[in-house]
Amino acid sequence: MKRRSFLQAVGLAAAASAVVTPSIAFAAEKPKGSNEMGIDAALKALTGGKKITPSSKVHLKAPEIAENGAVVPVSVEVDSPMTPDDYIKGIHVFATKNSNPRTVDIMLTPANGKATFSTRIKLGSTQEVLIVAETSKGEFLSASQSIKVTIGGCG
Amino acid sequence: MAGRKSLIKIKPKKYKTGEVVNVSFMIMHPMETGMRKDKKSGKLIPADYITEVKFFFDDKPFTTLKVWESVSTNPVFTVSYKVPGKGKLKVTYKTNTGEVGEKIKKVKPKG
Repeated sequence: MKRRSFLQAVGLAAAASAVVTPSIAFAAEKPKGSNEMGIDAALKALTGGKKITPSSKVHLKAPEIAENGAVVPVSVEVDSPMTPDDYIKGIHVFATKNSNPRTVDIMLTPANGKATFSTRIKLGSTQEVLIVAETSKGEFLSASQSIKVTIGGCG
Repeated sequence: MAGRKSLIKIKPKKYKTGEVVNVSFMIMHPMETGMRKDKKSGKLIPADYITEVKFFFDDKPFTTLKVWESVSTNPVFTVSYKVPGKGKLKVTYKTNTGEVGEKIKKVKPKG
């Protein structure tokens, strides 16, 4: 018990000093990003509690095994006529286990002609990449794929 | 802003009015997450990443990207665009350190 109470005391001291000198707290614990949040919170912030339905309209192309987590190519295509009445308003890319799961939010317009997007993202560990597409009617469609990462890419 | 290298690419190279092309925006940027440590000094490298990329055609925005730290170093963003005719394609970006920049490419459809 002695060791535990000692650790608790040290923890409390670190927490107290965090207010005054954040640099000490940083040395003691893992650094936290300013945008850190869970995937559930990120999804809730996006949809406002609405249901997300997995859909075959969303095509996600990504490697199953990524040797280097720092560069993982991801491309998305969503089937949509892209007319002013019916188009994809947004595509949101989430890396579910990164400390900040939000990766890119793409806001599209009918002028795009096709709802596609591709980029390269960083993955900290083996995880699922989740794509949420928002239609102009307010529906949320999703697709996901798990990617095995041999070497993490977040420092 | 110390002249960051950036590039806009349109694929395929030859396109017609009304065709849907892929527009890529590439930029040389470290995309520091703020969680990585300097190996020599052991200090954290401050976060420096792109937060917003906007695509314009003749000053009309058609796609906006909100970007976070988890995008790779020297990112490439590719979107589709239906070429409405001759014009000017412009891409602007913003970073969390307040840096802004833009790149312009002329759109010349054949036929």
